[in-house]
Amino acid sequence: MLKEDFVIQSNIRRMLIRTNIDYSRMDFGTVKGVVYIGGTFQISHLYPDGDEEKVKEYTVKTLYTFEKKIRSLSGVTDVIFQFVNWRKERGQWVPIEVEKKEEEDENKTESNL
Amino acid sequence: MRTKRSPIYKRILDEIERDVRIHPHYADLQNYLGLVLMVEGEAEGAEKHFLEALHLNPKYQAASLNLGFLYVEMNRWQEAEEIFLSEVRRHPKEGFLHHVLGILYLQTGRLKEAAARIHKAIQYHSYYRDYYGKKGVWQKGVVHLDQKARGVLKRIPLNHHHAQFHNFVGLYLARKGKSAQAVKELRKAAELKPDDFIFHANLGTVYYYQGVYPKAIREFRKALEIDPFYGMGYANLSYVYGLMHRTHEALRNMKKAVQMNPQYADLHYNLALLYSDRKRYEEAVFELKKALRINPNYLFARINLGVLFEDQKRRKEARREYRKILQITPDDEHIRKRLEKIS
Repeated sequence: MLKEDFVIQSNIRRMLIRTNIDYSRMDFGTVKGVVYIGGTFQISHLYPDGDEEKVKEYTVKTLYTFEKKIRSLSGVTDVIFQFVNWRKERGQWVPIEVEKKEEEDENKTESNL
Repeated sequence: MRTKRSPIYKRILDEIERDVRIHPHYADLQNYLGLVLMVEGEAEGAEKHFLEALHLNPKYQAASLNLGFLYVEMNRWQEAEEIFLSEVRRHPKEGFLHHVLGILYLQTGRLKEAAARIHKAIQYHSYYRDYYGKKGVWQKGVVHLDQKARGVLKRIPLNHHHAQFHNFVGLYLARKGKSAQAVKELRKAAELKPDDFIFHANLGTVYYYQGVYPKAIREFRKALEIDPFYGMGYANLSYVYGLMHRTHEALRNMKKAVQMNPQYADLHYNLALLYSDRKRYEEAVFELKKALRINPNYLFARINLGVLFEDQKRRKEARREYRKILQITPDDEHIRKRLEKIS
């Protein structure tokens, strides 16, 4: 199959615009049919008064749909996600708790002192 | 002038009011709320929100212009004039601002000042040469404000905010996935203010969402005719051509976009992809290096560069790029494997 990276890149751009994903904090690249996606994954128009669990559930659902859409693009052979706030573990999307991680790091530093 | 109330406009008003309650410090939201209220005929509410937007961001031109047009509608000429003069001081070559001041002076009977402003509008924007030429105001390099011309020009509504309103509604609908309705709104905006490239650019973008590529191309081209310095217009054209697999045209337009915006790393990256797809590897490497010079942390550009070097058996250079990537993202297993493979 012909892997035209620019065409894949244009398709992703078009796809992102049509979703409810806030792509302003995301970036992506394509190398020989392999798509790299990084940055922060966020849904646009989610309100702070929303139920946290529901927001999480909805984000996970959107992540699966997003992944499926990218993988279905013609010429895409693999997708590598490098989000700072979500990662895929054994086929499941899980949030990366940045604050918790930072706290742990701080504690480590303190104990080292 | 009041826009016919429609359920969509009402819904938009409700949503923006809610957004403003949640984010009262967003100047954009304050400005949009002001705009919708203005078009709804609620002048006092509109004034309050434009002023709030300007309080949050004193250099916010869209809010400032909207407030100016609101004052025109309220016959508060002096306040309107002050706003437009202040904007002209900041953007002395913006033909539209001179045009607005010309009409404002004409409507308040200040003919000499009106003629001077119309002359400047023509000088700075070719659109106004044709515009005033058709109305018989611009003849052989001179502004003629005879009684007939004055009669015509005095009736010209200053449509700026209505055009902005339809543009805003169009973009709102597009984000909601209602492309057909979005196109209608954006068309209205372009009809009300045909000299503004942004409405055509937005129309082009909506057609691009919809996958109606020939129309997207037509609108981006129109935007570029109005404003040949709209560099992103060339990039957008390139993306559309890319989707149509017309990579030769995609390449031509991306080159132009890069030429006009040499500091945008993303455009160099896209140009590199086009070269790489056409197996013009040296040019691709050159563009990727440029992208990385602008943004040394541009991870994807570095990955592409590493893979390109690897493909060309330039292993030492590939290793160097992969190592740099791992310095930024040490957990990148994909790159680690690639590095191990060539080490």
